[in-house]
Amino acid sequence: MKTKRQIQKEATRKLILDTAYQVYASEGFSATTNQIARAANLSHGTIFVHFPTVENLIICLLERFGLEINAQFHLLAEKDESLETFLAAHISVLIRYEDFYKRLISEINVLPQEAKYVFINIQSVVSFHLNQVIERDQEKETIKEIPMHIVFNSWLGLIHYYLTNSYLFAAGSVLTDHKDELILNYIKLIRK
Amino acid sequence: MKTCIACGMPMKKESDFAMGDTSKAYCIYCAKEDGSMQSFEEKKQSLVNFTIKTQGLDKAVAEKAVENMMRQLPAWKAFF
Repeated sequence: MKTKRQIQKEATRKLILDTAYQVYASEGFSATTNQIARAANLSHGTIFVHFPTVENLIICLLERFGLEINAQFHLLAEKDESLETFLAAHISVLIRYEDFYKRLISEINVLPQEAKYVFINIQSVVSFHLNQVIERDQEKETIKEIPMHIVFNSWLGLIHYYLTNSYLFAAGSVLTDHKDELILNYIKLIRK
Repeated sequence: MKTCIACGMPMKKESDFAMGDTSKAYCIYCAKEDGSMQSFEEKKQSLVNFTIKTQGLDKAVAEKAVENMMRQLPAWKAFF
């Protein structure tokens, strides 16, 4: 059984991660630990009791984000689903995390190397499920002969372009506004 | 819900488990044909190949990303 002190420690760690998620989603990853501490109503030093460096905080946050988002992809993805259903499930998960995800893809190049690997592993779960759907459709010869990584990177490139340039396409959630159009036309590009 | 100790995939259906055996701690994708779990090297190689095939990554980057992922999983703790 956990002691009261352990429970308190875990709650504070969770509060820091929850707050860092919100602050990074609205301010970007250049937000300071001071901003996070203020938003969480904690002393600045408390952050470093739980996370020795900013890099460590970002990596722990991304790992938690990865586990959460990947669990949702796995739950939504079914082996026998259609390409349309899979792409819609992917976008619907991203919509839940849109502000944070947008910051992540816009700033990934300046994040620590380990954070980049966590990001790749988040994408691996998506590519795993998309690969299952595409392989099945390729057997049925309903998809053009395109290498799997181009199929995947084209989809990711499309939605990432809309996300990172959302000001061009929507006042609010760009994925909500353009979901149907993106899915429909992406499928037209790769289907025979 | 159980999560595969070797790749982290949540196992929600019987068919997700190795040999369809829900008492197993690893998934269908981490099992060999005889039902035993793949070795560290086998799993690493298959994940690296899969990452290159599905995401087009440079081999060195794929290896680093896979190692980073495997480091978090209970089955491979002794290898890091």
